[in-house]
Amino acid sequence: MKEEIYERLNKVFRDIFDDEEIIVKPETTANDIEDWDSLEHINLIVAIEQEFGMKFNMNEVTTMKNVGEMVDIIIAKTR
Amino acid sequence: MNLISIAFLVFCAVTLITYFIIPKKFQWIVLLLSSIIFLFYNNLSIFTVVQALLVLIPSYFLGRKIEGNSNTKKGKRFLILGIIIIVGQLICYKYINIFIESANLICELLHSDRKFALIENSALIGISYYSLIMISYLIDIYRGTCKSQKNIFKCALFMSYFPILTSGPFIKYKDVENDLYGEHKFNYDRALKGFIRILWGVFKILVISQRLGMYVDVVYSKLTIFSGIYTILAVLAFPLQLYTNFSGSIDVIMGISEILGIKLPENFNLPFFSKTITEFWRRWHITLGVWLKDYIFYPLLKSDDMQELNKKCKKKFGKKVAKKIPLYASMLVMWIIIGVWHGGAYTYIIGSGILQFIFMVLEDLLAPVATKVNSKLGIKEDVFSYKLYQVIRTYLLFAFAMIFFRAESIEQALFIIAHCFVWNLNIMLDEEFYYVMPKIIGLDRYDVRVLIIALVVLFIVQLLARKGDVREKFLKQNIVFRWGVLYALMFAIIIFGCYGEGYDATAFIYREF
Repeated sequence: MKEEIYERLNKVFRDIFDDEEIIVKPETTANDIEDWDSLEHINLIVAIEQEFGMKFNMNEVTTMKNVGEMVDIIIAKTR
Repeated sequence: MNLISIAFLVFCAVTLITYFIIPKKFQWIVLLLSSIIFLFYNNLSIFTVVQALLVLIPSYFLGRKIEGNSNTKKGKRFLILGIIIIVGQLICYKYINIFIESANLICELLHSDRKFALIENSALIGISYYSLIMISYLIDIYRGTCKSQKNIFKCALFMSYFPILTSGPFIKYKDVENDLYGEHKFNYDRALKGFIRILWGVFKILVISQRLGMYVDVVYSKLTIFSGIYTILAVLAFPLQLYTNFSGSIDVIMGISEILGIKLPENFNLPFFSKTITEFWRRWHITLGVWLKDYIFYPLLKSDDMQELNKKCKKKFGKKVAKKIPLYASMLVMWIIIGVWHGGAYTYIIGSGILQFIFMVLEDLLAPVATKVNSKLGIKEDVFSYKLYQVIRTYLLFAFAMIFFRAESIEQALFIIAHCFVWNLNIMLDEEFYYVMPKIIGLDRYDVRVLIIALVVLFIVQLLARKGDVREKFLKQNIVFRWGVLYALMFAIIIFGCYGEGYDATAFIYREF
């Protein structure tokens, strides 16, 4: 299941950051992707919400530290 | 009580001694009592207490109510009520004049003679800070980020923790909870580090900021006398004055808190090394930026209305443009709020609001164009000279916006800008200039020399800070060097500290906000 989520996340990340090379890992953070700043963060969040048909709450939006935590939330909410 | 005054020194000494000698479980009570005394002493009015209670009591009870109703409709109703109460009293006390000014402006536009008198600013020290802190407290409970505080007196301490009442930084309940109510042993290393930070802050304020301030104040108060190079120098000096004053007071605050064992979030990260205005605001008044991002910018961008706008724009203009429109709309709202928070006058809304917004949008739009042009012209972007150009450009843009921030009115700001473009550099060749000028601007050659040396010291320390914690490195040095530098710093403050005549050496530019 996790691999499938990462595959779908790669698609969303590539689309948002216009970079076909992106491959996200659990330890990927905003520091690893050049354009991932606070402005782009919300666009990414909204795109992920649409892709997976779920909603992050604001606490999760502001506190998640890396892609791994993001995936844990997605799994918990789409179960 | 100003941060740099004998009264504050005595106050801190008494607080620190009491804090470390009484049983540790009562330490937080000492902090609470000190905070109440600090608030009361600063405002000397019973309204201080009433005002603070008006925020504390609803926040406390609503916090308790929200806790069981995180992320529910019921919880949201309590949250909204809390925000309305806090924002309402903040507006009443602080921003009433901007409404009166707006009404007067409308009357003027309608050619009516009616004029409403401005109300004496009754805003209290600390109110901007504790209001925003309590809003974040309620929102965090609603979001489930933290639990509410069961003890109303502990809640009162979180709201009024005295070091942060004059100029921040903004704290979040979750981040300080353990430190604030925890038990702290006296720790020599920590106290020494705190003491160094306090000294450095005082140095920045008394040796640098006050001197720059004397010059800036003279130019801004006698606008018709000065033009050309004098005005330009004042415009360029003001951001540095503001920075050394504001970050200096933050150093004093952080130092005191460090000695107490309470870790506060950093508010500055070498802002003048920023290559863009966007980066600048990530490094300047960081905790205000984080507050706005977490509680206004993100919720706004993520709101259904903005997403709807995004969808509509996508159909009309395509994906790339569609992404920008809700972003810019949210940014505009946020920057207007920053301007309003900074004081509410139109000069603030333009200087620390709308102009910053315009710069950031232009940067965002022009960055790809600039990259293309540079690559065509063969200009390398990844070299020192280009980065230096970007850093200088950012400083100049910020200095330009700060003309509005510093000026008393928009007309005055425009007047200053116009008077920058007067050629009078040749005056500096005139011998007489050097005898007359010190008398007018209040800074003689000695002051200018001290200022230049102090600025060089500041620059070197900042360069070192880019490579890691300067105090850590400092404490690893030999004892002779360590105490030599500490004494030098202390004597520099005593000898070169600027306590100029008629100049309130302790008036913090930022404490009004």
